[in-house]
Amino acid sequence: MDDIDIALRNTTYGLFVEFGRAPTVDETAGRAGMASADVALGWQRLHDAHALVLYPGTDELRMANPFAARPTPYRVHAGGRSWYANCAWDAFGICAALHSDGRIETACADCGDEITVHVVDRKPVTDDDIAFHCLVPASHWWDDIVFS
Amino acid sequence: MNLFRSEEHIVRWLDGRTPGATISAVALCDLAHAWWGDRVSPDWRPHTRDQNQLILDSLGLTGAFWQLP
Repeated sequence: MDDIDIALRNTTYGLFVEFGRAPTVDETAGRAGMASADVALGWQRLHDAHALVLYPGTDELRMANPFAARPTPYRVHAGGRSWYANCAWDAFGICAALHSDGRIETACADCGDEITVHVVDRKPVTDDDIAFHCLVPASHWWDDIVFS
Repeated sequence: MNLFRSEEHIVRWLDGRTPGATISAVALCDLAHAWWGDRVSPDWRPHTRDQNQLILDSLGLTGAFWQLP
């Protein structure tokens, strides 16, 4: 990952935060002062380097971890905005990335009951005795990051 | 990477599959802050594999399951 791709990655993340959604290639090109085709090529290199995730065969963002581009079961309210996260780890990660308190709304992956967790001063506050389970070992997370 | 109402729910959800790793919400929140805290910094630089492994190790997430490739 060279400095140009790192700068593109950081511009992309900045727009994700600013817009409250995933930026498009054209929006990112406009902000970065690059041609859209160069942004698309850069995003593909960043995808290959696991710095963001594209939908297969497209130049559409799927993940700028911890942020998710489309609705997921993990809704996060932080800093006066709302976001979707890719998983439970990412849900807490949005509060962490924004350096903000927040509220995570999700459901138990087993029974579907609603779970709400507040993050206050970097700590979770919840009435539930909740637990986090990671099924895939760390050595295989990027084998299929969407499943992981 | 999911949340569950309790460890009993995890066992039921696994339905006989080999378990991964279970940690508390407190541990997960600590991990998230250590892992993602710099992600929207305009000066972000890529983490090395060893930097990420150190985050896991420093939080007590050790053993084969938590070894990055």
